Amino acid sequence: MGSPQVPDEAPFVSVLVAFADELRGEGLAVGSGDVLSYCSAMAPLDPADLLDLYWAGRTTMVTRRDQIPVYDRAFKRFFLDEVDSLPEPLRHTIRNAAQTQSVLQVPATEPGTDDRRDQEAKLGLVASEAEVLRNKAFAACTPDELASLRRIMARMRLAPPKRRTRRTSPARDGRAPDPRRTVRETMRMHGEPSKVFWRERRLRLRPLILILDVSGSMADYSRHLLQFAYSAKRAHARVEVFCFGTRLTRITKALERRRVDDAMEQAAKTVFDWEGGTRIGASLATFVRDWGRRGVCRGGIVVICSDGLDRGDPHVLATAMERLSRLCHRVVWMNPHKGSGQSFQPSTLGMMVAAPFVDILLSGHNLRSLEELAATLPTLN
Amino acid sequence: MTVDRPETVAELTRILRQGGYLADRGLATALFVAMSLDRPILIEGEVGVGKTEVAKVLASVFGRRLIRLQCYEGIDTNQALYEWDYARQMLQIRALSERHLGDDTAVDTLFGPKFLLERPLLEAVRAGDQAVLLIDEVDRADDEFEAFLLEILSDFQITIPEVGTIKAVRPPLVVLTSNRTRELHDALKRRCLYHWVGYPSPEREVEIILVRAPGVSEALTRKVVAAVNRLRALDLAKPPGVAETIDWVRTLEVLGETDLDARTVDETIGAVVKERDDLDVVRANLDGIATGA
Repeated sequence: MGSPQVPDEAPFVSVLVAFADELRGEGLAVGSGDVLSYCSAMAPLDPADLLDLYWAGRTTMVTRRDQIPVYDRAFKRFFLDEVDSLPEPLRHTIRNAAQTQSVLQVPATEPGTDDRRDQEAKLGLVASEAEVLRNKAFAACTPDELASLRRIMARMRLAPPKRRTRRTSPARDGRAPDPRRTVRETMRMHGEPSKVFWRERRLRLRPLILILDVSGSMADYSRHLLQFAYSAKRAHARVEVFCFGTRLTRITKALERRRVDDAMEQAAKTVFDWEGGTRIGASLATFVRDWGRRGVCRGGIVVICSDGLDRGDPHVLATAMERLSRLCHRVVWMNPHKGSGQSFQPSTLGMMVAAPFVDILLSGHNLRSLEELAATLPTLN
Repeated sequence: MTVDRPETVAELTRILRQGGYLADRGLATALFVAMSLDRPILIEGEVGVGKTEVAKVLASVFGRRLIRLQCYEGIDTNQALYEWDYARQMLQIRALSERHLGDDTAVDTLFGPKFLLERPLLEAVRAGDQAVLLIDEVDRADDEFEAFLLEILSDFQITIPEVGTIKAVRPPLVVLTSNRTRELHDALKRRCLYHWVGYPSPEREVEIILVRAPGVSEALTRKVVAAVNRLRALDLAKPPGVAETIDWVRTLEVLGETDLDARTVDETIGAVVKERDDLDVVRANLDGIATGA
């Protein structure tokens, strides 16, 4: 019967293990426990049946929907000896990614650990220069200045506003009674009624979603904003980061690397259309359809950084923005062309279309404006 | 006659079909493996493709009790595992005299089974393999709650400090569903088998509807399924699921319609499309939806 038991035929098990290895080679995180599950799942099934082989493996070793195509490919290659026929766009992608790496030449943030004192001395210098740098547009900065700016940005913390959750925690002046603690205390007092304990609904940071334009017109800013996205991600657990040019790419996973430069390099590999054209409307529509609808931005703060130079249909952008503004809590738009001036009239068509659905418009062209964002965020309730 | 557990995937498929659920090969294999290995299964998929339904049907065809835990934000141990009946405990304390309270047994009974309120998870562990535990829409609970689930999903045991550890002799069949409103923790996923349920093929969807809504005309069903597939191709904010298709066929049946045309689509579209923006898109092309022209 179906007792979980690994079959005796050793060669067969080794085939399954080899297949699991193949999957690991494709980048799937398959633990030995999963392989064990696969082997014992095959025990009551028919190893000669390809369908059993396929489904048992898929149900035990795949944990996310996006892994399914990878699994399918590996399965075909391993069990059916099918030559990989990579779809054309994917090949194109790989070539592009290689180019991208050379484009993203960011100066190293951590110049090496041996000369820490030296670095500290430099940091001191930067502090005195910081005021000047603060108001200098990123586009006008030298690589050295940018490196020091990025060090300052790494220390900035983005804190989204809080919201009240349905989860409660003990509180001195809460509103709901805490019977569990009250009874416990009463028991401790040998049944003498004790004071009543209270609970209160907890506060929690709202999710923060950054959607960054990395197209040609925004290339100067995107690098710094990626850095900013990285520090935001480090400061707060629930941050989602997306990049778009001609299409939308989620780079949250890539930013999970520990070192800034590793993360940036990884992100650059993920974003294929670095410095391509801009299709804001289509990209935002993709975001709303594939991510927003699933609740990624529900109750959250969405920060879009783009100049609004959309080459697509403005109607698409308007619809996407309208849906987005209904799905999330607040929309913040960072437009570097806004500059420091107070009187900014949106001039690009995309910006004009999007404006009615934007809660706050900031510039994001220099450090001061990013600080402004950091200061504004917690107040957006 | 109900069997304890199926011997083959084909048998499971047949049993599910008798219960009115048409599972494809993938889902049937996943469920079969879950039952053979006594592992929880996490089912993800588009809305309305029958994720919750499969647990209900499993319970009924195998004669097990369905224990359902609907997840929501802020759900905690009190609502999911167990809770002490504080009101009764208080009354009991008041009823006991000083002398009794000094006695250990009196206090022990205060934290005994008499005052323990079972919540779904504890109920399921107690019931063991007599139950199907459905943890519905686990993505709606906050991530703190997932941590509660870990002990139960890996060892099928619950630890109550005052009572001790309660362990299932034979674990219940656990079905978790998620709509992917957020990514679940890897720790939770590692303890589960995983299956993704997509939309069925048109032929299968017709089959499903004829099983779920007996008595509807097959010709009408075919037309509705074709129309629903055209709707899914439209890039709507909320594409209709199988549940919506069934609703639509039933709606048409109730109205006594036998054919699908622009007028009937317009009058009954509320059964399938439930978003204003989407309605505008659909209404712009009623003829195309109804007939595919």
